Amino acid sequence: MSATRGWCLRLKAQPDFRVDLGGVLPARLAAMTADEVARVEVRHGNERLALGELFDIAALDGVAGESAPELRLDGDLSRFDAIGQDLDGGVLHIAGAVGDRLGLSMRGGEIRVQGSAGQLVGGEMTGGLIEVTGDVGDFAAGALPGSMDGMRGGTLIVRGKAGARCGDRMRRGTVVLHGDAGDFLAARMVAGTIAVAGRVGAHCGYGMRRGTLVFAGPLPAVPSTFVATHQDIVVFWTLLRRSLAYHGGPFAALPVRAPRRLVGDLAADGKGEWLLPG
Amino acid sequence: MSSPAQETTSAMNAAPGSVTLNGVTIDDTFAEAFPMKATRVLITAHNETWARNAAVSMTGFATSVIACGCEAGIERMLGADETPDGRPGASVLLFSMSGKELAKQLERRVGQCVLTCPTTAVYAGLDEGEAIALGRNLRFFGDGWQISKMIDGKRYWRVPVMDGEFVAEETTALVKAVGGGNLLLLARDTDAALAGAEAAVEAMRAVRGAIMPFPGGVVRSGSKVGSKYASLMASTNDAFCPALTPLARRSELDDYTRCVMEIVIDGLTEADVSAAMRAGIAAIVARGAAAGVTRISAGNYGGKLGPFHFHLHKLLGGEGAA
Repeated sequence: MSATRGWCLRLKAQPDFRVDLGGVLPARLAAMTADEVARVEVRHGNERLALGELFDIAALDGVAGESAPELRLDGDLSRFDAIGQDLDGGVLHIAGAVGDRLGLSMRGGEIRVQGSAGQLVGGEMTGGLIEVTGDVGDFAAGALPGSMDGMRGGTLIVRGKAGARCGDRMRRGTVVLHGDAGDFLAARMVAGTIAVAGRVGAHCGYGMRRGTLVFAGPLPAVPSTFVATHQDIVVFWTLLRRSLAYHGGPFAALPVRAPRRLVGDLAADGKGEWLLPG
Repeated sequence: MSSPAQETTSAMNAAPGSVTLNGVTIDDTFAEAFPMKATRVLITAHNETWARNAAVSMTGFATSVIACGCEAGIERMLGADETPDGRPGASVLLFSMSGKELAKQLERRVGQCVLTCPTTAVYAGLDEGEAIALGRNLRFFGDGWQISKMIDGKRYWRVPVMDGEFVAEETTALVKAVGGGNLLLLARDTDAALAGAEAAVEAMRAVRGAIMPFPGGVVRSGSKVGSKYASLMASTNDAFCPALTPLARRSELDDYTRCVMEIVIDGLTEADVSAAMRAGIAAIVARGAAAGVTRISAGNYGGKLGPFHFHLHKLLGGEGAA
């Protein structure tokens, strides 16, 4: 057994092809010796490569069992996909950009990226936390092609911008988006909460069935399939506002008084809601 | 408060081993309590008046499990800074003999007394324990318009109602608890007994995790187990009835004791019941025998009813339940 709480993998050089890092998870590696970690094979194009050929491997300070298993990845990993896929515990720190499918289907644990990420960040995740300091690509918190549900739980925090179709078919969980969102934000959303502080693109809430969209920044253009309701929602708003305030930035300054509320998409039963503070 | 050893006395009505503090005799006996199941819910509203209205209604007809299904009371009123939604509220404790009955009583009482009360919302008041439904089934009142929201790992239901929406947390927690802690206050007359009981209850209400479920926290119809009538499971506590002093087979009273009041305590833990009993005793002792309550005793059934024995003298010494 390893005597360390985890490992730091520092990228040696950019690979020739895209690398699938699925299965390279903190808890799995923490149970290995350095040699065993170096021999773990990952897909590289149509071939398999050992981690030792891609990364310099060093043990993290600390003793196993004192804290959650941890894995640190260092370097520009924009050619590395499926980082943290199926994660169910432990902590994954990435210093640099990452590729597609970050945290896809993860069930627990934390992924923190100091950089940007590609498509499908947090796609179909059911639990845990993902925080990306940069931008994310299309279909963040969304669904894989052919799948009925996108994000199903957990929290996704994006400090930068999100691409198109963020929250597509999202069913549960929370997305906190500090920057702008692309087209079709919350399209076909089934439930859950998305809070956005930046501008949103076209067709926001298209086909939205249920769920909550909070606009902490510029107010969006309201489509004709969304209508205002006028009931007192201060209780729910206080619960939600206090939760969002934890994420700082514009979410920390959400007004105390209840926001304007719109419901829609009326073409899809109209049970989704937009909250427009200010 | 003096130590029991300093003021051991032989007052006229004192039983062997009793001690006297500030003129008040404290019997060498114990209150016998039994296990219960309990939960705590937090009710909030637009202002304290409506939070209290809901809490009073919800805890109505909840004095004794003998016939009410549960015992309930307002633990304390909550400031706006103590509640999940930043509004004034009330903390309510419910106790019952089984988890199933508690869940039934909780759902009925929240459904009829909180859901119906203007502007209210209801939240779990305990984090640890077996989950029981709070808003989980009440949501169906929304007839399909109800909305579920997960916020910070907790599920809330938003049910459209005529003043806006009723927000209820999905579940609260059920925990093992202690019911039936008690004090018997023996006084020279009704005025003195009431004044002493009121003072004791006021002091006991400062203890968190405990309630005194009877009207005003006080019960005048203390009971013993069983009856001469086979259909009754409890009947008047003849040993403490002044009307029966010369008649009952065994009376605990002397000719100078003409009114007895009982305070029953339910607590989330043994320590809570102990603390409440200790506060009540201290309040009576501080008033002194001159105020009219001359003796403090407790109800027990020889140790056969429940496993929790709160010895009054040990409470004086701060040792709690034995």
